[in-house]
Amino acid sequence: MSGAPAPRTARAWLLVGPGLLVLAALLLGPLLQILTVSLFTYSPTRIWIPEPTLANYRRLADPYYLAVSWTTVKIGLLTTLACIVLGYPLAYFLARTRSRLVGLYLFLLVTPLMVSSVIRIFGWLVILGRRGLVNSWVQKLGLGDGLDLLYNTPAVVTGLTELLLPFMVLPLMAAIENVHPSIEEAARNLGAGALHVFRRVIVPLSLPGLVSGCLLVYTVSISALVTPALMGGRRVRMLGNLVYDEVLTSLNWPFASAMAVVLLAVTGGVMLFYLRTMRAVSRSRVVAE
Amino acid sequence: MSRLARRLPFGLILVAIYMFLLAPLVVVVAVSFDPTDAFRFPPPGLSLRWYAAFFSSEPFVHAFFRVSLVVALTVSLLATLVGGLAAVGLVRFRFRGRTAAEVAFLGPIVVPEILLGAALFLFYARLRLQTTLAALVLSHLLIAMPYVVRTVTAGLSGINRSLEEAAMSLGASRLQAFCRVTLPLIRSSVLSGAIFAFIISFSDINLALFLTGPQTVTLPVHIFSQIAWQGDPTIAAASTLQIALVAVLLGVGQRVFRLRVAL
Repeated sequence: MSGAPAPRTARAWLLVGPGLLVLAALLLGPLLQILTVSLFTYSPTRIWIPEPTLANYRRLADPYYLAVSWTTVKIGLLTTLACIVLGYPLAYFLARTRSRLVGLYLFLLVTPLMVSSVIRIFGWLVILGRRGLVNSWVQKLGLGDGLDLLYNTPAVVTGLTELLLPFMVLPLMAAIENVHPSIEEAARNLGAGALHVFRRVIVPLSLPGLVSGCLLVYTVSISALVTPALMGGRRVRMLGNLVYDEVLTSLNWPFASAMAVVLLAVTGGVMLFYLRTMRAVSRSRVVAE
Repeated sequence: MSRLARRLPFGLILVAIYMFLLAPLVVVVAVSFDPTDAFRFPPPGLSLRWYAAFFSSEPFVHAFFRVSLVVALTVSLLATLVGGLAAVGLVRFRFRGRTAAEVAFLGPIVVPEILLGAALFLFYARLRLQTTLAALVLSHLLIAMPYVVRTVTAGLSGINRSLEEAAMSLGASRLQAFCRVTLPLIRSSVLSGAIFAFIISFSDINLALFLTGPQTVTLPVHIFSQIAWQGDPTIAAASTLQIALVAVLLGVGQRVFRLRVAL
């Protein structure tokens, strides 16, 4: 290279620099810190002493934490499944509709995403609570009184599904838009029914969108905090609740850090798996063509 | 007729999904106008009683106007500035480490928010910065910046550089050419980025739960603690005000600046 690029490179770093500084100071720094603290020894008086130990990680193998981890994974999987079931029809409709109202439909899908999750969960508490809407209708119809609709796994899954459904619909919609309608038409002309077309044409061809959607929904739901805190009560606790309690109530920061590192490793692992499958999918595409 | 019969089941399914998606918001808005505190739907009458309660509640007003609004406006401004500059650097220059920098800007979105919250809490605790407004602003800047980088990058990639070059050949400096020619053209993406940054800060709860102290309780955190204490429909009034602000920003944004959804 000649001498010219040097000042241009300097100018580029000047532009990108402030942003990178924010990332280094507030993302990299704190994450490295929890990684270090997770290897320190807990001290009830000084919170941590810099003596290396693996005790914090070993404690995660304790049956209680294993049970919470299992609950977390189970809720993540159920939420993802529910989002697939509800997300496909909506994504298909939004990708294929020629309605002039499509802008409104998208607005109705995206707006809830922008409202604080705590507000949407508050709505669910009003709907599902002991004196809530569902119970008042059930009572009016004489079907019983005071059903326990909250503080159980289905409640948490309901809340998370409503919260995260747009994360499934948006990538699915983009993927279905890329499937040319004539492919569906061809399948129909050859005698395939609607469900058959969906299963054999739409699903395989929108797989990349499905994978992105599942990944987003799963990683966000396994790190949920507010939803299990308000809709799960004392009975349904997820890893996020434990991290929060250890940080702010028990003040066992080394143990909280260890949990956070494990959670981060799991979500990071899922991401990596995703990137590799995406590459495999696009490769098999090329082969198929 | 048979066409309708074929489409009806699918239509009903779609309506049901939308009802599921919107039910909590609709219920919150309806309950906020209920004259009683029974949380009934539909409400037996209409009243502004809980809005009066909201405006006369010192903690709610403080959380809304003194904390959440101030933080969100500051974050929006800073994120647009820092993120916008970064986007210009990433699109307009080819330099070593550019791809790595591009990926790095996705970092804050990839890391689960509660882990960021916990990590930032420990970080600020060592600097004795925890529970200050500055801590909150910096943390929200971190999660809002990637969205600005994304919208502005998308806007800039669609602009033909020869326009700027034409201005420069007519005697404008590089900075003048950028400010006078390119900036007006990418106005809608910059404003979209600013709106998203505002909304992300204004509705955040996962970071704020770790980072707020007695003087820096944000609106979502105050709503959270009120719910935990079994509060009255003032919560619904406060929530409705937040929903209204977000909906207006999105609606106006979509109309006026062709808001881009950055997801």
